[in-house]
Amino acid sequence: MTFKPEFQAVILAAGKGSRMPELTASKPKCLLPVGSKPLIWYPLLKLQQSGFRDVILVVFENQKAEIQNAIEKNDLEIKIEYFTVPSNEDLGTADTLRLLVEKLKSDVIVMSCDLITDINLDNLLDLFRKHNASLCTLFFNPQLHEPVVVPGPKSKHKPERDLIGIDAQTNRLVFLASASDFETDVSLPKALLRKHTHIKIFSNLIDSHLYVMKNWIIKYLTYDKNISTLKGELLPFIIKKQLAKPQKITVTNTSIIKVQDSNDIFQFAREADLDVLVREASTCTDHYGDLKPAYHGDPIRCFSYVADLKTFGIRINTLSAYWYINGKIIDKWSSITNDKELVQIDSKAEIKSNQVDGGCIIWESCKLNEKTSFKNSIIGANSVVNSFSRVFNSVVMNGVIIKEKVALENCIVCDGVTIESGSQLKGCLIGSNHTVPEQSQHSNEVLTESDRLMEF
Amino acid sequence: MAKKSNDIDQKSDIIQAIVIADGFGSEFLPLSNDVPLALLQLVNKPLIEYTLEFLSFGGVEEVFLFCCSHVDTIKDYINNSRNQDAVWSQTVKVNIIISESCRSFGDCLRDLDAKGLLRGNFVLCEPGVISNVKLLPIIKKHIEISTKDKGTAMTLIYQEAGVGQYGRCPREEIVVASNSENRILFHKKINHGHDRKINFPLEIFLENNCVSIHHDLKDTHIAICSPSVLPLFSDNFDFQTRDDFIKGLLMNEEILGSTIYWHLIKGNQHGGAITNWRMYQALSQELANHWFYPITPDGRTFSGSFGRGVIIGSNCSISESSNISRSIIGNNVKIGKNVTLENAYIMSNVKIHNDCFISNSVIGPNSILRSGCKVTFGSVLGANVELNKEMFVKNTLVQSKKPEEYKDGDKLSEKAYKIKLVDDEEEDIDGNKLARQFSKLHLDEEYANSDDDLLESSDSEDDLSNVHSPVPDDTNMFFSEVIDSLTRGYEDKLQCDNLILEINSSRYAYNVTLKEVNYNVVKAILNLPFQHSSGQQYLPALLRTLVYFSPILKNYVRNESAAEDCLQAIEDVAASNNELCECIAKVLNWFYDKDHLSEEAILQWFRNLDSGSRVSARVMPFVKWLQEAEEASSSDESE
Repeated sequence: MTFKPEFQAVILAAGKGSRMPELTASKPKCLLPVGSKPLIWYPLLKLQQSGFRDVILVVFENQKAEIQNAIEKNDLEIKIEYFTVPSNEDLGTADTLRLLVEKLKSDVIVMSCDLITDINLDNLLDLFRKHNASLCTLFFNPQLHEPVVVPGPKSKHKPERDLIGIDAQTNRLVFLASASDFETDVSLPKALLRKHTHIKIFSNLIDSHLYVMKNWIIKYLTYDKNISTLKGELLPFIIKKQLAKPQKITVTNTSIIKVQDSNDIFQFAREADLDVLVREASTCTDHYGDLKPAYHGDPIRCFSYVADLKTFGIRINTLSAYWYINGKIIDKWSSITNDKELVQIDSKAEIKSNQVDGGCIIWESCKLNEKTSFKNSIIGANSVVNSFSRVFNSVVMNGVIIKEKVALENCIVCDGVTIESGSQLKGCLIGSNHTVPEQSQHSNEVLTESDRLMEF
Repeated sequence: MAKKSNDIDQKSDIIQAIVIADGFGSEFLPLSNDVPLALLQLVNKPLIEYTLEFLSFGGVEEVFLFCCSHVDTIKDYINNSRNQDAVWSQTVKVNIIISESCRSFGDCLRDLDAKGLLRGNFVLCEPGVISNVKLLPIIKKHIEISTKDKGTAMTLIYQEAGVGQYGRCPREEIVVASNSENRILFHKKINHGHDRKINFPLEIFLENNCVSIHHDLKDTHIAICSPSVLPLFSDNFDFQTRDDFIKGLLMNEEILGSTIYWHLIKGNQHGGAITNWRMYQALSQELANHWFYPITPDGRTFSGSFGRGVIIGSNCSISESSNISRSIIGNNVKIGKNVTLENAYIMSNVKIHNDCFISNSVIGPNSILRSGCKVTFGSVLGANVELNKEMFVKNTLVQSKKPEEYKDGDKLSEKAYKIKLVDDEEEDIDGNKLARQFSKLHLDEEYANSDDDLLESSDSEDDLSNVHSPVPDDTNMFFSEVIDSLTRGYEDKLQCDNLILEINSSRYAYNVTLKEVNYNVVKAILNLPFQHSSGQQYLPALLRTLVYFSPILKNYVRNESAAEDCLQAIEDVAASNNELCECIAKVLNWFYDKDHLSEEAILQWFRNLDSGSRVSARVMPFVKWLQEAEEASSSDESE
């Protein structure tokens, strides 16, 4: 008999990165370099440090080899089971989980590949355990952004805002919606207010997209095939269902055969009889103010854990978030990785320059020639920087060739770019495999083979 | 006290308060005809006494008492009280402001603004306030807030109270949304209407990172006001109540440039206001249990031989054989033998003769109840009412004076007339009926719970949810009322005419249609034998009941459509009860014999009956007999 773990972890890395198409045109989002590691390394490490032995990693079929290759270079102990989804189909997050139903036997932690945080996951898991919750979510307070100038043309990006309603007494998650779903009014059912008499509605919290859920939710997904995303459809649905009462099995003289409506979510959410009996017999309750039983007798219970202000947590799903984290990663490294050693300069890098400051991270097999200068920059693997060039405050990805007398400042340079000599680039975003001609001067532009960039 | 307040409020020397003495409503009719709200006896002390004691205790030194009616009575009372060195008279100066032209709370404040009597921040008490809140810290906080936010107009004082709590008036359920500084962003009174959703403006959530939505508050009806409040009332002549003021300020926040905050009182502080009979009852209980300490009532608390929570005034004479529980009895009350009082509020100088029964009711001063009277179910008797022997008053307001217009049925005796509130009719329309019911006296626990469930279940039927359990709606409540009336009537051998009156009054209370009345009355009668004579044969018991209630049946089953309802009731009861089903033919025969049901009605009903059902099979012989009889008679005629 095999041992059934308490939780199974799933990391969803089959995202297209549609909010930063310039960077993800030719590279899986989860492999974008953050500090000295690819993005996916951070959630994997988080799980490993929280005691997980294995994880299911969902990736696109055509990216699997590349991702597997990149991860294997980093010595993680966690056992990764790759699960591929076809890249041509547009699968939502809930659709993906539905495919995993055979593999998931325990309660599930679902994570996105773009989460970087220093939170201790035990807090969240304990909340889940304590209340025998159906679903737990993790929210962060917004990081105090000092306004960062993001490479590329100036754009006003409006962050998507969620309205998150949490019972102030019990931390029950009672309301979740996107602010853009409403025009002028937000309407709440009266019954909700009678049940949860003090609700705090937050509009600035950031959803970590890390969810802990009971196994029955996955089973329910296989039943209700209309649900395709977790955040947009499943969560609001389940949160709403907390307010509904399970169908009572009524015995009437008129009908002898009671047709059980298998449609009912409460058929899935049935708690173990013993749990219910124990709770009913106990004097413990989760709230005060009325005489209702603990949890108001709800079989479906959603909770949320709002990390405190000191906690660092960010999702790398936009260009500005990506730029921000690369500027912060050295500061935050020890708290995020729990004091793992930060290798700033890879031993396989060939560095002849004597002007590499402490804010730089140099990946393997880089070649930095004499008389070059680097400040607060990341230089990806196999990149070459020739003499008389300088790179300040920039992210240079893998296989980039920077010729002589190039000046880069506040730039993101994607894989395989060649920058010919004498170019001066400021605040630019250079798409992969692009060649910047000699003596070019650009500022705040996106430089790319236009046909390769998706048009929006 | 004076010294302390100087430190806090340097601009104005002393802390001032406005107390409005009138309720401006029909809530307390018929008692308010004779006694102003301010002098309403609450646990044997006039209401105003508590309010003034509270203000004195809270640190207020000057009170403007605003009177619009019964002016002289109040004036005399205050002078008298002052001369007798009442507790508050040491520290509080009471100025009586008189303006008989004011018709609303807003009018009073506009009048005060014109008079220019108030100098700085002040305390505003709505009518009927009782509390033991320490005002000074709240005033201090209000001043702190107003130095930061120049537009601060008011700090409302709220207390935490769970849904359904006794002292939380169901008529004043509020939803308050505020930001992290307790500034009110949204304020709504929710009546128990049909709307199941509450709409909040989106921008309050977008403009504030965290909005607290509270539905766990009750209003103490006390507020701390900035000097700008009175001019705001003057500028906006459509503000009639404090709620109008709050609503207006929130709606026109930009134009009026004013903001409202709220404060939560904690610890052993407590507050409330008598806004209707229900709150009168709740606050009486709270006073009796010393929730407002150090504000305490007069009179002695008895437990021993009487039930719990009985308070009796001075000079009372009460017979030993009376049975009193949870009641408050005023001064000089005489109670005869074998009297039962449950949850009754008896004012001064009332005489209750032998064998009376009073529950959940208020008896006004100087009333006389002759022997055998029953006053129940949230009735209110005004001052000087006299009830003759063995009268029943249930869920009615009674006054001693002859009203200008009245129907014959409204006259109970020379000094007792039923009255109806004028706006009763209108309220049926927008579902405020329930709210009206809530403002009456709070009845026993069972009743309260069913109210609660009623609200819950009607609320929680979200578009997605499936609620299949039967809802205890008005009709069901009406049904249980009828059952109660009939059971009692049968046991006590009451007159059927009286029972009809009782059923009719329940009918109006629950607003059920005539059809439902017919149906439920018959259903109730058929169900009665199960209630009180278990073990006996059903049929004989039923027949006895039917004979007894024959006048009632005659009253309700008087035309064809009523006969239809009656048959429907028989069918439904028979379908769920074997006993009736067994003898349904005999029962129908009885109805037929006594001319309650016509032949055509029965045959018509039978034709629509599901021919495969048990009921149909049982009825078959009777119908056959009917048809044969009909044929025989028609053939007789033809011959």
